[in-house]
Amino acid sequence: MHKSYIRRTPLPEAPIWQKLAGRKGRLLAMNLEVTARCNNNCRHCYINVPANNQDAKKKELSFEKIKDIADQACSLETLWCLITGGEPLLRNDFEEIYIYLKKKGLLVSVFTNATLLKQSHIDIFKKWPPRNIEVSVYGVTEKTYEKVTRKPGSFKAFMRGLNLLLDSGIPVDLKAMAIRSNIEELEQIALFCKKKSKSPFRFDPLLHLRFDGDRKRNQEIMSERLTPEEIAVLDRQDYLRFSAMKKECDNPANKVVTDNEKSFLFNCGTGLDECTIGPDGKFRLCSSLLHPDCVFDLNKGSLAEALRKFVPVVRNMRSDSSEFLESCRKCPIVNLCYWCPAHAHLETGKLDSRVQYFCEVARLRARSLEEQKVRRSEGRRTEDGDQRTEDRGQKVRK
Amino acid sequence: MNIDSVYAISEDVVAHEIEGQLIIVPVTSNVGDMEDELYSLNETGRGVWDRLDGKTSLRDLITQLSEEYEASFQEIEADVFGLMKELLKRKFLVEIPS
Ligand SMILES: C[S@@+](CC[C@H](N)C(=O)[O-])C[C@H]1O[C@@H](n2cnc3c(N)ncnc32)[C@H](O)[C@@H]1O
Ligand code: SF4
Ligand code: SF4
Repeated sequence: MHKSYIRRTPLPEAPIWQKLAGRKGRLLAMNLEVTARCNNNCRHCYINVPANNQDAKKKELSFEKIKDIADQACSLETLWCLITGGEPLLRNDFEEIYIYLKKKGLLVSVFTNATLLKQSHIDIFKKWPPRNIEVSVYGVTEKTYEKVTRKPGSFKAFMRGLNLLLDSGIPVDLKAMAIRSNIEELEQIALFCKKKSKSPFRFDPLLHLRFDGDRKRNQEIMSERLTPEEIAVLDRQDYLRFSAMKKECDNPANKVVTDNEKSFLFNCGTGLDECTIGPDGKFRLCSSLLHPDCVFDLNKGSLAEALRKFVPVVRNMRSDSSEFLESCRKCPIVNLCYWCPAHAHLETGKLDSRVQYFCEVARLRARSLEEQKVRRSEGRRTEDGDQRTEDRGQKVRK
Repeated sequence: MNIDSVYAISEDVVAHEIEGQLIIVPVTSNVGDMEDELYSLNETGRGVWDRLDGKTSLRDLITQLSEEYEASFQEIEADVFGLMKELLKRKFLVEIPS
């Protein structure tokens, strides 16, 4: 009998993910925002500051500190690390950071706008293959792309970088944001992405606000938001998204189990197996959770302390707002909603405020799903009716 | 593969001990199958892996394991050779010249 000593498991299916998820005080995945700076200036961006912002550059984690954090993460059994930003390729030491993380045996992903890619990056990605590279596609014409990025010449740079990646055979995931400035081109963007990459194309129509709370930039983000009605139409057209939403809706997250849990702010898995480290070394339980009570400075304490001491404190935070306790906290459609304490805080300054825009989107989504259900059951009834008529016909014939 | 050869783990892979399980991650494109995969070892595999230290010959390794598992040298030898073939095929090991 042939015996296999070594088991190969495709990454997404690896039973290890289930086994690892939710281990207290351990970390499965870490998102590293290596810079907030970017060479683009996208209208919808929640993080970017100009590429030459010296103040931001000075505050960025040094390569030494990143190495230290990666070492700590590995000793907490981390397997996966995302390098993002801002634009991570803006860092002069990007290649060193990337190779260091790879040599630690981490599965490394990179989010990039592709405009700064050069041959030396490709050589490194070929030698030290990434888990995946995700490139954002803001438009497929110069006009639309640069309407979003507000950077002349960026479309050309994007196409050059993307082609460099594609020609080298490195697997690339393409994704888009559906926003006011590119909505007219979304269909072409989808076609472009499906043609260029084998992995499924994803787009996201929901925007959250800035991490730095900048008012003017927040206004820009809000004016890039599609209306709830437009989002509902996009949802319905996107079969995969629609079925995923349906599944979510059938499995509501907001089950309050005990009286004690009724006033918890967080009802998700935040901080349990994933974290984000900001460019300044601040530990966050998830990417958008920037409330000052919810961040931990890794310049002052260790990752293990953050996970073992700080995370439980944040996860235990409660709300005494009756509005929250009666609305979002027990909302049956929270799974369809972009609302979460982190996004609420970015939107209103409070972790437990309802957000009208997200609420409208979620309600329209729920209505679409309900309508689909009714259509389905009517369809079934008609089919049943046809069947019964046929049965009767058969009886008569007999 | 020779029973008196000595092998070490390649620098092109990293093994993580996670929840008591050994997970092998290919780090460079020189190793593995270039597929999007993780590798894990069963218990016998684990015993062998831990002894691939660049000093212990396969013969010594098999002797140690047969004592530990109270099994015959031949039985363990068959297992070890089976595993070694799989590890070598994926270039997870390097042979140390004698
Ligand atoms: C901040 S960027 C960093 C990586 C890289 N610069 C890029 O553009 O892909 C990461 C992703 O967040 C998306 N994004 C930017 N602003 C957003 C917002 N306000 N809400 C949600 N996603 C946003 C970007 O479009 C991009 O796909
Ligand atoms: S390319 Fe990425 S980081 Fe840069 S401005 Fe656009 S979304 Fe923000
Ligand atoms: S914002 Fe509205 S839809 Fe969203 S969770 Fe709160 S109550 Fe529910």
